[in-house]
Amino acid sequence: MRLDETDQMRGFRQAARSWLADNVPGDRPAPDGPASRDYATSWLRTLHGGGYAGLAWPEAYGGKGLTPETLLIWYEEYVRARAPSTLDCTFVALNHAGPTLIACGTEDQKAFHLPRILNGSSIWCQGFSEPGSGSDLASLKTSGRVEGDHLIVNGQKIWSSFADIADYQELLIRTDPQSKRHKGLSWVICDMSLPGITVRPIRNMAGASHFAEVFYDDVRIPLSDVVGGVDNGWATAMTTLGFERRTAAMALQLELSVKIEDLIAMAAAAPGSAMSETLCDLRAEAAAVRAMTYRTVLRDPETPFDGSLVRLAFAELAQRIHRAAIDILGPEALTDGPWVHDYLESYSETIAGGTAEIQRNIIGERILGLPREARA
Amino acid sequence: MSFDLTPGDDQRQILDAAQSMLDSHYPLSRLRDAGHADDLAPLAEFGTFLLALPEDAGGAGFSLVEEAQLHAQLGRHMVGPAAVATSVAVRIALAQGDETLAGALSSGEATVSAGVARQTDILILGGKGAEQCLIRTAEGAELARLDTADTAPVTSLGHGSPMSRATLDLVGRGNSQADAAALRLLALLTSAQLLGVATQARDLAVDYAKTREQFGQPIGSFQAIKHHCANMAIGVEMLSAQLDMAAIALRDGREDAGFQIAALARLAPRIALENARTGIQIHGGIGFSAEADAHLCVKQSHILRQYLGANNLMSEDAPMAPLREATL
Repeated sequence: MRLDETDQMRGFRQAARSWLADNVPGDRPAPDGPASRDYATSWLRTLHGGGYAGLAWPEAYGGKGLTPETLLIWYEEYVRARAPSTLDCTFVALNHAGPTLIACGTEDQKAFHLPRILNGSSIWCQGFSEPGSGSDLASLKTSGRVEGDHLIVNGQKIWSSFADIADYQELLIRTDPQSKRHKGLSWVICDMSLPGITVRPIRNMAGASHFAEVFYDDVRIPLSDVVGGVDNGWATAMTTLGFERRTAAMALQLELSVKIEDLIAMAAAAPGSAMSETLCDLRAEAAAVRAMTYRTVLRDPETPFDGSLVRLAFAELAQRIHRAAIDILGPEALTDGPWVHDYLESYSETIAGGTAEIQRNIIGERILGLPREARA
Repeated sequence: MSFDLTPGDDQRQILDAAQSMLDSHYPLSRLRDAGHADDLAPLAEFGTFLLALPEDAGGAGFSLVEEAQLHAQLGRHMVGPAAVATSVAVRIALAQGDETLAGALSSGEATVSAGVARQTDILILGGKGAEQCLIRTAEGAELARLDTADTAPVTSLGHGSPMSRATLDLVGRGNSQADAAALRLLALLTSAQLLGVATQARDLAVDYAKTREQFGQPIGSFQAIKHHCANMAIGVEMLSAQLDMAAIALRDGREDAGFQIAALARLAPRIALENARTGIQIHGGIGFSAEADAHLCVKQSHILRQYLGANNLMSEDAPMAPLREATL
């Protein structure tokens, strides 16, 4: 086990640090709507121009094919430079949709979409959850009926982040009406400008409207936009989630180590005070989440891997760090501001992408081998 | 890769060998006899105390990373702080050029106990009949000669493994003081043992949850129990990842070694005790009894926590400090 930075890696770190110092925008992004899209795509174009876009993507698809260790260095520099959050409207395309197309898409699908994703000209959203299918995703009902060379899609999706400003959606639907659960689903590329699609943004508890409901009324999607085969959508969707778990959250996890330092500086808590003790615990846990991130990324890819442990440690620590910020701010926490906004946003950490309860079931059953609960 | 956190083959081999040694000499069942005191000779014979020494000092070519992993295994078997004391005392002896003492300690000819001082009151946590004691003080740690005739037995918490007490003015005795490196090693190895305790608590609870049945099914199928077990697994993973980080930093003399060790030492007692508490809860009535092993994890967590001493994480520089001012 070793963490020796070679001259080449040190050179990369130095170059990244000085590029970021020159290029990171000084202002914060708009919370939602077209202005947030402009901010995110402009930043992605800047990254692309600097040679820092698609770092994890294979070179054959326009990426840089960086090794995990170099990616770690990049994201450490990224968060220390306070670069914009990676969890913006480019996130789904760069971390879900793009990698899924790389793994399961046809040559035509890849040739059309991948360059547009990398240069920020197309934005994607995710259409997985439904009003009746949250934690129980495999119960989804939105249907796609084959008619000639098209699918006719009807139904409703929800919690689709950035659906109002997205060009495409990774859409999971039931294409075999007789099927149950994981079988008979298809993963399709849905052009958000197609007739029959209605998007209703939903304001979240932090005041931003970046997620939405999407309604489909006889939407005609060409069969050529199915990815990974008709009725094989569950396998395609699992490819997406698998990629997400190893690297996509790297920046967010490492960022907690920066946030806690800001908080310690902001609090100026007296040594031995209750707040100082709390901050000390949070600082230690942020170090551990960074260590878990290293372990996740730097272990032999053959080692069995389950992201639920680090995912949950991160999510709950993020909430507690923001909660401490609110305690430090006092009455100031009743007015809007970056910490207050991020605090309210942090409530989603234990819900989005699999609730903490589902993650704990996964840890109990897959990692610890505990028996499944009897289900109806 | 120049960054690699996959355990190496030689690391796996030495840990496998240690496991057989621990299973035969230090099974948890030995502690069901409340008066039992461990003899550390089998540990010395295995090479525990010279594993990571320089080769000219008799080392076996391993590093602090393997030594920390080995102490995590000792922690699973509740071997206790005397093993940490011995590993650290060997380094103190070597730092002072006393190769005779270092050799005697690492071979098991001489033994060291572990003590915690409050002014002149010394509580000896383990290491029966030792003529030296590595005493944790408010400021650091020092190696003192201790005449067993001056010690009196005390009943330890929960009437568990024997402890004793001595009154000793440490000032002006010319005791060997642990230097900064030795103190970091003490924190690393004690924390590693706490990881072992946390791991043992998790494993005992998970095994029990798989076999104990109520309402016609194993209790581990119920989410209330499963989620407790998941929390224990998260604690173990956090601590174990941080242990690797700290051990590598200390081995390689990295700038962030002090920070990584202090973060580890901050987490270790909290996670060990929390897992120990949850473990008892999952066991129910039998967990509160001294006839199951779950209670051992509670007591060992407290013992090791006292040996860890005060935490200085807030005085260390963070490796991930921001490079730009925050714009608020």
